[in-house]
Amino acid sequence: MALSSIFGGASPSQQQKATVAASSSKAASVKDQLKAQIGQELAVANASELVNKVTENCFEKCLSSPYSNAEEGCVDQCLAKYMRSWNVVSKAYVARIQQASTSGEI
Amino acid sequence: MSSITQNDLANLDDQSKKEIMTFLESENSKQKVQMSIHQFTNICFKQCASNVSNGNLSSQEETCLKNCVNRFLDTNIRIVKGLQSIQ
Repeated sequence: MALSSIFGGASPSQQQKATVAASSSKAASVKDQLKAQIGQELAVANASELVNKVTENCFEKCLSSPYSNAEEGCVDQCLAKYMRSWNVVSKAYVARIQQASTSGEI
Repeated sequence: MSSITQNDLANLDDQSKKEIMTFLESENSKQKVQMSIHQFTNICFKQCASNVSNGNLSSQEETCLKNCVNRFLDTNIRIVKGLQSIQ
């Protein structure tokens, strides 16, 4: 499914290998199914959070007057900008977490 | 997908249960990070995206976003410290 590929949903094939031999195949299949289901639901939750936030922000930025075709272009540009912003924020936050963990703050 | 029954869960061996707990904990902390990123992007986009007629980020906007995240975290840390000192 496309959503889980965006948000890196569970990839059961990798996790499967290590443990399949140890437990019975029934338990392993329940376990993997459970993990896949959890990953899937998280991916859906993330996608809907993103859709809500982008809609909120781009609605504010673009739809000040009655709807027109020009605003459709604005929404597209706004979405592109929001996704790029998401990536910048994500990198800055992860860098900050790493910096804090190497300096022993966390 | 929804074919896991209560019974299946109850019959899981201890090692599998433990593995699922570990999996849940790690997914949980990953998800917290994800949600923070959603929150920061929401706040900082409002602050930094001056016009949305161009889908690319300008270098000022990029710097603004980075600063916004860092100042937000600085504020957060300061507030936690402030509250701790009251106690």
